[in-house]
Amino acid sequence: MPKWAMVIDLDKCTGCGDCIAACKLENNIAIVSPEEANDGRVMFWMDMITIYEGEYPNIRVKRFPKPCFHCDNPPCTKVCPVNATYKNEEGLIGQIYHRCIGCRYCMVACPYTAKVFNWLEPEWPDEFKNCFNPDVSLRMMGVVEKCSFCAHRLLKVKEDADSDEREILDNEYLPACSESCPANAIDFGDLENKESRVYNLSRSSRAYREMEDLGTEPKVIYLQKRE
Amino acid sequence: MEIKRREFLKLLGGVSGAVAIGTYGCNQVIDVPERLIELAKKGLGIETWKNTICGQCPAGCGIKVRLVDDIPVYIKGNPLYPVNQGGMCPSGHSALEVLFNPDRIKEPLKRIGIPGSNKWEPLSWEEALQKIADFLIKQRRNNKSHQVAFLDGSEQNSLMSEHIAQFMKAYGSPNYYQYPSVKNDSVPYLLLQGTQQIPSYDFLNTKYVLSFGSNFLEEGYSPIYYTKLYTHLKELTEKKRTRFVQIDSRMSLTAINADRWIPIRPGTYGALALGVAYILIREELYDNEFVSKHTFGFEDWVDNEGYTHLGFKSNVIGNYYPEQVSKITGVPGETILEIARELGNNKPSLVLGDQGSADNTNGTYSQMAIHSLNALLGNFGKEGGLYFTDQPPLAELPRVQEDELAVKGNSQPPIGCTYNTSFKIMDFSINSFTKNILSDNPYPVSVLFLYKGNPLFNALNHHDLAEALKKIPLVISFDSFLTETSEYADIILPDHTFLEKWDEYSNIPSVGFNHVGIQQPVIEPLFDTRNSANILIELGDKIGGTVSGSLPFENFEKEIKFRVEKIYRSGEGAIISEGLKGDWLEYLQQRGWQVGRYNSFDEFWKLITKHGGWWNPIKKEKGIKNIFKTSSGKFEFYSQLLKEWTDELVLMKGNDSHQNRELVLSELNINARGDQVYLPHYEAVPVDEHMPLYLTTYKLLTNRNGQSSNQPMMQEMFGYTSHQSWNTWAEIHPATAKDYGISNEDYIWVESSTGSIKLKAIVNPVVMPNVVAIPFGLGHTSFGRYAKGHGVNPNSVMKNLYDSLNGNPALQATKITISLAT
Amino acid sequence: MPKKIQYENELDAPLFRPIYETGKGFYITVGILMLIILWALIMYITQIWFGLGVTGMNQTITWGFYIINFVFFIGISHAGTLISAILRLSRAEWRRPITRMAEVITAIVLAIGGLHPILDLGRPDRVLNIFTSGRLQSPLLWDVTSITAYFTASTVYLYLPMIPDIAKLRDKGGKLTWFYSFLSWGWQGTEHQKKVLNRAISILMIMVIPIAISVHTVISYIFSMTLQPGWHSTIFGPYFVVGAIFSGIAVLLILMIVSRKVFHLEDYLKKIHFQYLSTLLLIMALLWFYFTFSEFLTGIFGSEPHEMEIIHYKFTGPYALFFWGMLLLNFIIPVIILSIKRFKTITGILIASIAVVIGMWLERLNIVVPSLANPRMELPIGIYIPSLVEWSLFLGGIAVFILGFVLFSKFFPLISIWEIEEGREEGIKEVEERVHSYLPGKETGSK
Repeated sequence: MPKWAMVIDLDKCTGCGDCIAACKLENNIAIVSPEEANDGRVMFWMDMITIYEGEYPNIRVKRFPKPCFHCDNPPCTKVCPVNATYKNEEGLIGQIYHRCIGCRYCMVACPYTAKVFNWLEPEWPDEFKNCFNPDVSLRMMGVVEKCSFCAHRLLKVKEDADSDEREILDNEYLPACSESCPANAIDFGDLENKESRVYNLSRSSRAYREMEDLGTEPKVIYLQKRE
Repeated sequence: MEIKRREFLKLLGGVSGAVAIGTYGCNQVIDVPERLIELAKKGLGIETWKNTICGQCPAGCGIKVRLVDDIPVYIKGNPLYPVNQGGMCPSGHSALEVLFNPDRIKEPLKRIGIPGSNKWEPLSWEEALQKIADFLIKQRRNNKSHQVAFLDGSEQNSLMSEHIAQFMKAYGSPNYYQYPSVKNDSVPYLLLQGTQQIPSYDFLNTKYVLSFGSNFLEEGYSPIYYTKLYTHLKELTEKKRTRFVQIDSRMSLTAINADRWIPIRPGTYGALALGVAYILIREELYDNEFVSKHTFGFEDWVDNEGYTHLGFKSNVIGNYYPEQVSKITGVPGETILEIARELGNNKPSLVLGDQGSADNTNGTYSQMAIHSLNALLGNFGKEGGLYFTDQPPLAELPRVQEDELAVKGNSQPPIGCTYNTSFKIMDFSINSFTKNILSDNPYPVSVLFLYKGNPLFNALNHHDLAEALKKIPLVISFDSFLTETSEYADIILPDHTFLEKWDEYSNIPSVGFNHVGIQQPVIEPLFDTRNSANILIELGDKIGGTVSGSLPFENFEKEIKFRVEKIYRSGEGAIISEGLKGDWLEYLQQRGWQVGRYNSFDEFWKLITKHGGWWNPIKKEKGIKNIFKTSSGKFEFYSQLLKEWTDELVLMKGNDSHQNRELVLSELNINARGDQVYLPHYEAVPVDEHMPLYLTTYKLLTNRNGQSSNQPMMQEMFGYTSHQSWNTWAEIHPATAKDYGISNEDYIWVESSTGSIKLKAIVNPVVMPNVVAIPFGLGHTSFGRYAKGHGVNPNSVMKNLYDSLNGNPALQATKITISLAT
Repeated sequence: MPKKIQYENELDAPLFRPIYETGKGFYITVGILMLIILWALIMYITQIWFGLGVTGMNQTITWGFYIINFVFFIGISHAGTLISAILRLSRAEWRRPITRMAEVITAIVLAIGGLHPILDLGRPDRVLNIFTSGRLQSPLLWDVTSITAYFTASTVYLYLPMIPDIAKLRDKGGKLTWFYSFLSWGWQGTEHQKKVLNRAISILMIMVIPIAISVHTVISYIFSMTLQPGWHSTIFGPYFVVGAIFSGIAVLLILMIVSRKVFHLEDYLKKIHFQYLSTLLLIMALLWFYFTFSEFLTGIFGSEPHEMEIIHYKFTGPYALFFWGMLLLNFIIPVIILSIKRFKTITGILIASIAVVIGMWLERLNIVVPSLANPRMELPIGIYIPSLVEWSLFLGGIAVFILGFVLFSKFFPLISIWEIEEGREEGIKEVEERVHSYLPGKETGSK
């Protein structure tokens, strides 16, 4: 069974924000009104965290993209009362929008604040409704949503692979952020495949995972050289 | 569980499923449009991909558009296009929001009421074009064809600019200008080297890059191209790793990713560059061979009349010793020593300058100082240095046929610069343009075409420009949206958005190889809009005669085809396709380049439109003699071109007297005297000394030149690094904030001598003390529902200052004070 | 013409009076409460229509008033049944006038508290998903289970001891005889029935105690089962239970004092009752402080960075006012008032109790919001400003509680009449026998 993981190379990432925009476009993520944005209700599945270290003028700014980490020991699935967020055999943490009751327990349990909530009914002007991605369902008010590693792309790739009677190739299934990153900083692939880029990068000396000591076993691995 | 989930996902995957389930619950139904429901029911969900060129900003990245049932739903980078190689910046993804924007102008409009009243009535194309053509014909007949001006805000080196130039020349007007203008930006290179072109930098082979304010990852000519280069370098092993040092007043995106950030007082980059030159010269770290063989004006020299002239070396050694430079710039002396030594000891090393160093009253001189460092290091004609690309073998447009009226019109002085006090090297000065229109000097302007751009929003002389626009009897805008500028138009002839039109882009400035990108429609035009190029062809037809003859193509697509045919015949380069990844480059270069595999031009055209472009990565080896196009054939530290034109201006005043020279220099706001005027030197910026803080602005990748403000996704992402959405903010250093009693997220007033704005303050250490950094792009008073009323425009408090050598507005020359807003 | 019901000659006439006489005060109170509840309902409908966006919750602070009030109301429920059961179990005679009121508080407040998670849901229309696709591994479902169990147990535990009193009311006649006879289940006061009743009550009072303790422990598990700093603490179970009993006793005291005044029950709710109960309150205050102190001492000593962020937020940051206010109201004021004899008057106890109720609500606020406002990831610190809807629903909840109590007092006696009678008839004798059995000498009385 493949185990999907992502490797983000922070030495290459420039912090341009393209991953955020690609994700928003691919997944039909709603855009909230300016007042809502001011109240802190913006919905980014891929968020960008900026950390400042050091003293002026020797400041180091670390910008790192943070999607859902699709943990192998996820704190969020443990607490969902209706099994609307669950872990499938391939290591993806799914979210069933039509079952979610909006209790937001998973949001509170996630130590990485990876999930966002639809506080109001998502609205789009009529014109923008023409350009939804038809592969991704729209969410309704009152449900939790999060990065899905573009699982809809996996389905397509699987169908293609099945019809050709072959395995999925490395880098055939890529989420929108990985595909779009201009710095090639986001790699994606199967950790079980010993020849995949992701597997090799995950064993690099630069690899680390966020807050590993919490025991969540996140599957997004960051690469950064320790100076 | 498996089956259930699949079924669920299948349901969710289809739009029709979303409709059915969308009625769940007591809330509103998800409002899926009729058209999409129709397609979902009847359409097969067929996915196609089309390649085109992004038009959100002038960087010209290739994009791949995903269409489902012929409706574009997703945009990603074209992996084959060599400029961006599949990468994109955030703005590119919100291109669909331009195409489907609710505030698009759907048909030609005529203004009722006074300019800026924003009351319009629709007009048919026939009516509009006839009216304009009639007016143009009348102007021509009365020998007033030169009173027609064309302002092009696209910043692009595309076929469109040549097409417009063709039209204007055939019509008989010398007044076609681009604003902002790449030609203006390349003035320093013209003065020093004789080439009016932005150089390309060989990052891949250089060891050390020193950037003076050049924010190439965010604000440069092609951010994604440089991001790709930058990433490539990070993939190399330790030994070959290039070191980046960024000198900037704030920690821009490039500075964040550099190995070191050196904070510098705004406007003093030129001094720092010369300080570095001092060390290079003193410690003999410069390329002596290159300097002695291929530069002019390094040592003191004697001219034909026996006068001794100051050389670059003496100027630097005499005036720019580190303590002096440190005082001017705020950079500690040891740092200057360090970077100069690193620069000198790690050859090949490159020096770049732009944005921070260029957008000021002393921009040209600063750029000259910075570029002279490249000459000291001998960075020409070698690996790891800089070079200038050739032009791709595109067919020239058929020669313009000028009839008598056109010849008369074209001989009139151009109105874009003040013709007796500005240099001919200056392509355009918005300040002079405005002043000339207001004073009818040397003649009034009766027709103004506005294509792309939003000068009224960007301009520092907003008020005067508005008055000037009001004065012109016929202002025609090709904009697709009602912006601050197009609100002053009399007639709007809406252009297609870039996803619906044909255009051809070549050689984006600073990209290191020849390339041609074909921008083609991915969808039928949604509304009754027309490609501006086709409008000009139609106008030409209506005017008739030589004007129509000079634009002989039936439509723009055919014109592009004509141009591209020469590439096919030249056999150079190749259409972008699978095999041409970065590593192939060297391989092919070693083995010669085999092309010409296309059987016919039709096949070539089909392939080029299918893949989106053409490129030629092989650089022709040029001898150093062919690089410098100055009168001496060398790199001129002492710019003879500058001296020539200054002399011309002096003579225009009368004789070559000391007084007249003084007059010219003071009109140009140049403080230096004597030989220093023609050498790179530091000119102090005339700031308001009584104001304590510097204001610096910058452009974000999510907004660029203010053009993404009508896209809600970009508005939401506007300040994603500081968690600000739909809002402008001012970045202040903690020490400065403490002095003024400001804490994070307080609202403050930013006040200059010309005005004040109120905005949020973000306190963080990524900006120099005593410098306030405000991003540009918001603060629109028009431009649709998403742009209007959000944020503030920092340009509105800037002083009306310009670089007198190249006419560019000085965006870093204003000093301000701040106070807590109660 | 309805026959006027005779009750004045009853020994416990004051206990019957509220049922048969309705003053203007009653109608006004009920009227105002109904208005508040109507307003809360309207606000709730706006929330259902527009979504949870009408509240003040946002991205990192995703739980706010609704969860705070949920914990608060369920906390209050502890006093009732727990106190009543424990006192019954320990055969404390002074419990007799208190038990009924305590049990009523529990029943009403559990219903209100139990509804609050539904108020908090983004999709309340899908609440039945809990049953169709529920996961018992989720602490929220443990909650649902234990609250349901507790609600059932405490309603039954309220109902059973009411049966003899309902029978009395049935025998008095009047308009609601059919209602009372239905509820009184054919009680005639026979020996056999009394035995069965006492048996049932004994079983229940033992069962109810673990269920009650489990309820608030399980609610604390909602927080402590997550990895959030400030929540992931082993002490949460007992801490919450102690806090719950603490707040419950305070509410009970307030209601006792108010009903005493309004219904003229001075004869029944005497000073001694308040003394004993307020001593319990004092003990709880000290216990609560002990747990709070342990919690923060461990946190500060460990100095784990995320934990310290939250502690700073509470001690010196934006929540300093709420945190120190809580300590003042929960510990300083009650301890001063209740340990100094001069202050331990009815008024003093009332002030202390009100302080405790507010303090305990602040404690819930201090648990929920600071941990959410300071996420582990480097995001800006959250700001939570509750909106009109949240305040309205909070007031609505309180109004429902008071209304429930007032309506109960209209239809049923607030003080258990038969237990008072039992106390008079049998209590004194029983206690005498018991005391004798403690002292050295011959064994007297049956076991």
